[in-house]
Amino acid sequence: MPKIETTESLFFGLMGRTIDDAGLEAILPRAKAELDEHDAAQKVIKFELNDTNRPDLWSAAGLARQLKTYESAQVPLYDFFSTPQCTMDNGGRTFICHKEAAPVRAFSLGFAASGCTVTEDILLALIQSQEKLCFNFGRKRRTIAMGIYRSDLIKFPVHYTGADPDRTRFTPLGMTEELSLREILKKHPKGQEYGYIVADKPVYPYLCDDNGDTLSFPPVINSARIGAVEVGDSNLFVEMSGPELKDLILCASIMACDMADLGFEILPVKVIFETPNPFGSELTIPYYYQKPAFCTKSKLARVSGLALSDEQIVKALARMGVHAVTDSDNVYATVPEYRDDFLHEVDLIEDVIIGHGLENFTPVMNLDFTIGRLSPAEELSRKVKDIMVGLGFQEMMYNYLGSKKEYCDRMNISDEKAIHIANPMSENYEMVRPSILPCLLESESVSGHAVYPHCIFEVGKVAYLCPEDNSGTVTRNSLGFFASDSRIGFNQVSSYENTLMYFLRKEYTLQALENDPRFIEGRCASIICDGKTVGCFGEINPAVLENWGCSMPSIACEIDLDALL
Amino acid sequence: MGIDVKNLHPLEVRLLRFAEAGKDITAQLLTDGLHYNIGQCNQSFSWLCGRGCLEETGRQQKIVYEITETGRQQAESGTPVERIFLLLKADGPHTLPQIASRLGLEQADVGSSFGQLLKAKAASMNAEKQACVAPDAVLPEETQVLASLLRAAADRPDGCLVDLELDEQQKRVIAANAKKRGAAQSPFKSAEREEITYRLTETGIQTRQAVIDSNITGDELAELTPQIIASGAWKTSSFRPYSVNAPVSRLVPGRLNPYGEYLQWVKDKLCALGFEEFDGPLVENEFWNGDALFMPQFHSARDIHDVYYVKEPRHCREIEQPWLDNVARTHEDGADTGSRGWGYHFDHEFTRRQVLRSQGTVLSAHQLTKARVPGKYFGIVRCFRYDEVNATHGADFYQTEGIVLGEDVNLRSLLGLLKMFATEIAGAEEVKYVPGYFPFTEPSIEVHIKHPVLGWFELGGSGIFRPEVTRPLGIDVPVLAWGLGIDRMALMHLGLNDLRELFSPNIDSVRTRRGN
Repeated sequence: MPKIETTESLFFGLMGRTIDDAGLEAILPRAKAELDEHDAAQKVIKFELNDTNRPDLWSAAGLARQLKTYESAQVPLYDFFSTPQCTMDNGGRTFICHKEAAPVRAFSLGFAASGCTVTEDILLALIQSQEKLCFNFGRKRRTIAMGIYRSDLIKFPVHYTGADPDRTRFTPLGMTEELSLREILKKHPKGQEYGYIVADKPVYPYLCDDNGDTLSFPPVINSARIGAVEVGDSNLFVEMSGPELKDLILCASIMACDMADLGFEILPVKVIFETPNPFGSELTIPYYYQKPAFCTKSKLARVSGLALSDEQIVKALARMGVHAVTDSDNVYATVPEYRDDFLHEVDLIEDVIIGHGLENFTPVMNLDFTIGRLSPAEELSRKVKDIMVGLGFQEMMYNYLGSKKEYCDRMNISDEKAIHIANPMSENYEMVRPSILPCLLESESVSGHAVYPHCIFEVGKVAYLCPEDNSGTVTRNSLGFFASDSRIGFNQVSSYENTLMYFLRKEYTLQALENDPRFIEGRCASIICDGKTVGCFGEINPAVLENWGCSMPSIACEIDLDALL
Repeated sequence: MGIDVKNLHPLEVRLLRFAEAGKDITAQLLTDGLHYNIGQCNQSFSWLCGRGCLEETGRQQKIVYEITETGRQQAESGTPVERIFLLLKADGPHTLPQIASRLGLEQADVGSSFGQLLKAKAASMNAEKQACVAPDAVLPEETQVLASLLRAAADRPDGCLVDLELDEQQKRVIAANAKKRGAAQSPFKSAEREEITYRLTETGIQTRQAVIDSNITGDELAELTPQIIASGAWKTSSFRPYSVNAPVSRLVPGRLNPYGEYLQWVKDKLCALGFEEFDGPLVENEFWNGDALFMPQFHSARDIHDVYYVKEPRHCREIEQPWLDNVARTHEDGADTGSRGWGYHFDHEFTRRQVLRSQGTVLSAHQLTKARVPGKYFGIVRCFRYDEVNATHGADFYQTEGIVLGEDVNLRSLLGLLKMFATEIAGAEEVKYVPGYFPFTEPSIEVHIKHPVLGWFELGGSGIFRPEVTRPLGIDVPVLAWGLGIDRMALMHLGLNDLRELFSPNIDSVRTRRGN
């Protein structure tokens, strides 16, 4: 979940009033947000945003907009958007998105802003928006990267193209020497971080103005001159690049609305696309492309359980920033410029519900009759646990992930049947347990101080490779039990197993188990039920005990419970 | 007086009754009077001193001579010196080998015993090398003394003589016939001991009186045996009373794991509320783990850093149809679900990529393909997350999830369901609902509860499955989906505050753990 941080002054300024923490906690759910931390000394507030489909909320301006709109039920108006029907004046600012960029990162676009001096607060807010949108929504810059530049230094038209990685050179932000694009990937920290997105491409994305002065090497780094926005600047150019044009348009809309809320005047830029795309060869950014959202009142009533009046519906949606009209059974909604999260009518319905206030929906009990039932495996597991407890055993519960050392090496068995994790976080959790026995031995190894005898068991899952299955693996419900004492041996484990099987009403035969290094040769057996091997037991091999640092004679048994079902 | 006479051991009772106020008590007196062995003496002194009934009044070093097995034989049939003397006196002169064979003695013993007779001038050797005694000869005095000491010791219950009781001659004789160690051939074994004298304290005198007043003799029956029942001896005797508050020994019973018991309790609750249990394999694929839940394949929660991938086999062989085609189309353009879809190209290889189940909702999705309407289903299932393991995150953990299918279920019945969980499972005092976000439900609701102990916290997440989830899996009625975070309540129930403790391998810790 994205978290954002804002100063009190910026946030409360945008809200138009100061709100205490209790007040914030009361209204934040309307934006699916939570108060993460309020550092009163530093005058900094942190919010957590839960809706990953609402990137417009990941900034102080966006969050404040939703909260204020909810209170006023007035849909905010932004007058700088071009639409398919109406194009705004671009004031001579043009941006050419050349076809040479297509092989590496097809699209880029931008808009300009002026009329507001960048303060410390605003600079931090802009940097944060850039990070959240590019990292979370833009998948770590893979689908969206953003740059903000000093437009005073730019000679339009701006050019976005594919450039020669070695012959194109400029001084990147944070450095003093001129480097080639390829050198930047190696030498600049951002190059090392994000270079992989473009590294193997024949050309690299490159943004410059009409004089050939570099703006940036998207999605990696800005230039040290035009790309170095500072406190005191007031004329900015905002640019996004990525492979999907729609993402970039939405991202530009979010940034434009945020900056308008911060006090900037948004100056449209005409973008010419040489690469074919669903939006055509020319767009003036910011651009409103969203289609109306729609739901029926009957569906709304069915989902929410409440029949709302037209007035209530329209007001509820206005609180969510959505302008709506109704006729007969239909609700038509104009999607806000900064949102694109209406995939299905249920999305609009949820906005009605939140806008109307969850507290206004009284809980009711569904009266459908259904029969409650435990799974057959759970029923058997409980029978088995009862018997084991009656035999004096303590039930244990273990993690299902562990290390090769525990699950295989110390048991003196190979790991060829174990399910390994491709991306383990540490070697302590690198495979799924193929058997319960190592877990029981781990208990023994850490419990030398506990009064003997030790009698423990677990009913749980094990999983291992099984080529016949579609997944190549199988998960089984299994019983493992283990006992240790100064005098204990095969006869006891055989008696336990016999008693268990008697009360489970399972006929079985035993066969000498050979070549199982976990047990003492000649003192272990396979359990056969209906011709199938369902488990084994025996005296634990002292070599295994030594591996675990255990000093008491031990017996153990493991039975595949699914095989007994 | 704080001593409950029922707590007294029979050894203590008998000692108290035997002791007299103002008089010394020693181990010797107990041995002679009560036939206690030395261990019983020490035990009863130690217990009564501990209770403040006895006090030590003095200590004395003494040498104790204990008769050996050899000594007992000699007390019975005479010492070798005595026997040789009587033989010679009765049957006339014999050579030493003749003596040895007649009396069944070792040659060496015959030699040394005869030596003693010679020295005391009680016997002599004649010209024929035969031992003989004069008709008027008497036994040497020392031999007589030894014989009397042997008889005295053999008559004692503990077979011991103490130097303090002996005169000078007796002391000399007994010392000459005793060895400290390896005394098998000597008639006496000697040991130095310290004799301690005790006296009844004021408490002791009162306790003694209390014992007498309550008619406790120390001869009560200690335990009822089959023999006592058979003989009827219990009819004429009484049983030693036990103190009901005496400390008891710890037992180690067979037990269920208290966390497992709690999970069973939750399962039983859910069954009682009409839910049927589901379960499934630990290894899943991206299709069921995410795609079927309408999480776009590029969703940030599906990153390599959030899910554990299976190393081998990397992919399952196939995804069941028609679910695969239905879901793929829904992702791409919404298919017939009424959605516009995510608008990207569905990756058919990625969808087969195998992972460890990262959320219980996966099994809810599976269940949709075989669910009845109306239907209620639940599972408490192990899930795996790529997370640093610490007090609040385990490598694997249980998630409690479920679904409700019904023609008429809606937001309000979802709220009703959550309220029921809050009361029945969490014992909540107050319930609050707030909008939530989950990729697979719309609307999505979080339920917060005020718990009597924990205060306000988030009990769970829920919502109505998106049509993009249900319709591709063949369900056309609304489906409520819910998940409960019960581990927090489990920790409270068990008095723990670290999630790792729920799966503790430590036997002693699990043995002693209790639920509230």
